[in-house]
Amino acid sequence: MASSMFERYGGFASVSKIVLSFYDKALDSDVIGDYFEDIDMPNLIDHQTKFIAMAMGGPASYTNEMLRQVHADLEIDLPAFNEAVSLLQQTLEEFELQAEDVGVIIEDIRNRAQYIIGT
Amino acid sequence: MKLDRFNQMLLESVGVGLAILDLQSREVLFANRRFIEWLPGTTSVGQPVDEVLPDIDYKSLEGKVAEGELYVCESTIKVKRRSVSLALQFTKHTHNDKPVLILECQNISKIKELEYMIESYSTMVEKQNRTLQREKERVEKLLLNIMPKTVYEELKTFGVTTPQKYEAASILMLDFVGFTDMAIADDPAGVISELNDIFTAFDRIMEQFGCERIKTVGDAYMAVSGIPEATPEHAQNIAKVAVLILRYIERRNAAHTNQWKCRIGINSGTVIGSIVGVQKYVYDIFGPGVNLASRMEALSEPMEISLCEDMHALIEHDFRFIERGEHEIKGFGKKKIYTLDSAHSMVSMNTSF
Repeated sequence: MASSMFERYGGFASVSKIVLSFYDKALDSDVIGDYFEDIDMPNLIDHQTKFIAMAMGGPASYTNEMLRQVHADLEIDLPAFNEAVSLLQQTLEEFELQAEDVGVIIEDIRNRAQYIIGT
Repeated sequence: MKLDRFNQMLLESVGVGLAILDLQSREVLFANRRFIEWLPGTTSVGQPVDEVLPDIDYKSLEGKVAEGELYVCESTIKVKRRSVSLALQFTKHTHNDKPVLILECQNISKIKELEYMIESYSTMVEKQNRTLQREKERVEKLLLNIMPKTVYEELKTFGVTTPQKYEAASILMLDFVGFTDMAIADDPAGVISELNDIFTAFDRIMEQFGCERIKTVGDAYMAVSGIPEATPEHAQNIAKVAVLILRYIERRNAAHTNQWKCRIGINSGTVIGSIVGVQKYVYDIFGPGVNLASRMEALSEPMEISLCEDMHALIEHDFRFIERGEHEIKGFGKKKIYTLDSAHSMVSMNTSF
């Protein structure tokens, strides 16, 4: 079986850095930062960790139903979704993931847009 | 508060947030750059620190500090939308004969974030481990269905298994008369379902006497005793299960429309047991002992158990037999053949069907 991206890029040790970097960018963003205003840190980190692990084929798998549930109350709109995707792409590129892998991750997230966007 | 220039430079350059507070009012007398950076609420000197750090237990702080001890605590404040975790340490000092509180703080947000992340990750991994464990047990159970436990253990430990020779084992071969016609009759699904019930019942009989089902091929059923664990009773055990199988079928036929008739051949001899295949494992048995059992089955009339002199010698005092004289057996020469008289042989088992 081919190893997952999660394994190829060094497992949790490396992916944790991606998670924190994405977390920082998301919080600092004026477009999507406010969505995180009332979410406490443990929850948010938990979500980000699982989300990135899932995107890279790590040991978490968010089903579409779970994605829908965790985003249901946030009323995320298309610009916010696009901003998050572009921040993720930027983060992945900063960590020197191969363009092809970044493409796979971003496409996967885009394909799940309907479960994340709440309006 | 007046500090000389050197001291001020020193306090500004350290990597921790530092503030000097009035002991009583806890008003900020001095705060270094880092302190203000981490607690942006501290805009003016003279503001009580209680306002920017509201969730500290100031009562116990006063108690500790009054006794000259350190007071250490953690506090989380919200700066813009970000949670900032601070590790705080209060100590009492005097400055120009005036008692003051020194507040040192470290920004531990990154550590906290990492802590939460590790927690989240380990929960994921533990969950995955549990899933894998369940999966492993399921696979193990499946493999144990197709090979004996000892062989499975060997395969698990070494990755390969070596064929084993069992000097003293007994084999049972069975098939149903007219099964093909039955199966293509009106209700094939029903026939297969019945066959499944019957084989399941056979398995339970085998279990009672420590026999092992090796395989079924279509309507044929093959079992052994003495593999993989040797038992001096292998011949008796196989003969007993053969008798019980006939009884089970008779009783079943009395209550069902479909009439099943089986032929059974039993034999004792040397058997080789081994896993065959690499991707598709099958545990199978080989050897002349197995072939002879198969010949015995072919010699049986419906609802009969046949065996030859080799096995007969081992169990002649335990069961009743009907002699059938010598037969030429392909590949084995002339042998005396017997039918096990199941109707007059006493066999009982613990559970009833």
